[in-house]
Amino acid sequence: MDQLDTAKPIITFKNVSKTYILYKSDQDRFRALFFKPRNPKTNKALNNVSFEIMRGESVGIVGDNGAGKSTLLKMITGVAFADEGEIVVDGKVAALLELTAGFSNEMTGRENIYLKGYILGLEDDYIKQIEERIIDFAELGDYIDQPVRTYSSGMKMRLGFAINVNIEPDVLVVDEALAVGDASFKRKCKDKIKEIISAGTTVLYVSHNADSVKEICPRAIYLRKGTVIYDGKTEDTLKVYHDYKEEQKKKKKK
Amino acid sequence: MFTSILKEHKGFGKQIFLLAKNELIKTYKGAVIGPFWAVVKPAFTVFVYWFAFSVGIKALRSVNVHLNGMHRDPFTLDFFTFMFVGIIPWFFIQDSIVQGTKTLRTNRQFITKVKFPVSTILTYTGLSRLFVHLFLCVILYAYVIFHRVSGGSAPFEWFDLQFFFYCPLLFFFFLALSWSTAPMAAFSKDFESLIVSIMSGVFWLSGIMYDSYSFTGGLKWAMLLNPINFFANGYRNTFLYHRGFWEYKTELVVFAAELIAVTLLGIFNYNRLRKKLPDVL
Repeated sequence: MDQLDTAKPIITFKNVSKTYILYKSDQDRFRALFFKPRNPKTNKALNNVSFEIMRGESVGIVGDNGAGKSTLLKMITGVAFADEGEIVVDGKVAALLELTAGFSNEMTGRENIYLKGYILGLEDDYIKQIEERIIDFAELGDYIDQPVRTYSSGMKMRLGFAINVNIEPDVLVVDEALAVGDASFKRKCKDKIKEIISAGTTVLYVSHNADSVKEICPRAIYLRKGTVIYDGKTEDTLKVYHDYKEEQKKKKKK
Repeated sequence: MFTSILKEHKGFGKQIFLLAKNELIKTYKGAVIGPFWAVVKPAFTVFVYWFAFSVGIKALRSVNVHLNGMHRDPFTLDFFTFMFVGIIPWFFIQDSIVQGTKTLRTNRQFITKVKFPVSTILTYTGLSRLFVHLFLCVILYAYVIFHRVSGGSAPFEWFDLQFFFYCPLLFFFFLALSWSTAPMAAFSKDFESLIVSIMSGVFWLSGIMYDSYSFTGGLKWAMLLNPINFFANGYRNTFLYHRGFWEYKTELVVFAAELIAVTLLGIFNYNRLRKKLPDVL
């Protein structure tokens, strides 16, 4: 049975493309409500992207700014949608991206745990089980029953982080640029992420830092201008990435 | 396609109520008399209209009501009672259209940052407005009973139960309308402004200050086509006219057709624009 599980992809991208339409003016935007825009300016964020990620795999995603990394992650988390192609994500996704976003400010921390749980399709009983663990992890103390609007930004982040890592996700999306609280809490977070990875959760890791990708992910995907340039062993991917960057530098010097 | 909105609501019922409650807290927190603002504002509006028309202009002290298409004698109501019963659904309608149109923009954190059943945003904000409406309806009913008793009639009537026909329809009709307007307003601020400007005038085009049954010819049909009249007259059917909702069949059929059209259009527009929302907000 285990064999079957790992052989089944948990994330599938099949010829996925996404184009953002850049409206020239507000009139154009208004027109677009009723008519198809005529030869609009577009930005192709993803172009015919295909890959499969197996259960338990850790995959790094590298690329320059504007390569389509964020769009890709947004699609996996279910926020953004593809224009063409097919995306299948087979499981609970937790995202360590924008931790303070998506809270209902008037609700208490505890109520927000439930809100988040319901959005992810969890049952009451299950949320009750993980509730205490989340509160412990976030180190919020009595503040958990105060409205989230009274929280400091650090507290909000801690709660966001605690919820996302404690729901036992099938897929964890991590942005390396994440900063959570003070040094000791940062260490706690790093340990938790490592614990999740070693527990066999599928992890998608976005980073500019080659070393940390190498450390965590055996496989990496290199995106450039919305296209998958290389998908393979992290070492090979990073080599392709660096070679291209060197080339660019040389071109600039000329 | 038809079930997409339904699917988003599945298993989310409890959260919708919780979010609706929080929406109310958000609206009224920080004010000394808090929730009473929900009453003070409409009460003042009612007072101003009554003062302007009955006291100021002295033109409207009573309204002659002709329930056309029926073998009943025209009767006279005092203007205040007539206007009060009709304006209560109007407050809900106005808030629903104006706030409903803006809702997705003001709740954008649920669209661009996390995966969220977007159509439930319209439901829970609508529900919070319904709570306020129900509160006002309790006050209205108290007034109606007072009015009846002081006029020597019985305090309760079977027709009162029609409230449970009109009120859910009122809620649903304007929820379905927001399935169209909210995504469109999220897309284009101009559309939002368009709706807001239109709404400031629609009040005077609807039979709230006057009797929309009192017209003949083309105007009569124009009045029948306005769904706001259906509700203003519906509440009057319930509390003032002793008339069943089924008695005026043309009005009922026109409204049913509009309800179906608005619902289908709402589903169509919501599905058409849903996936583009995270990109444009």
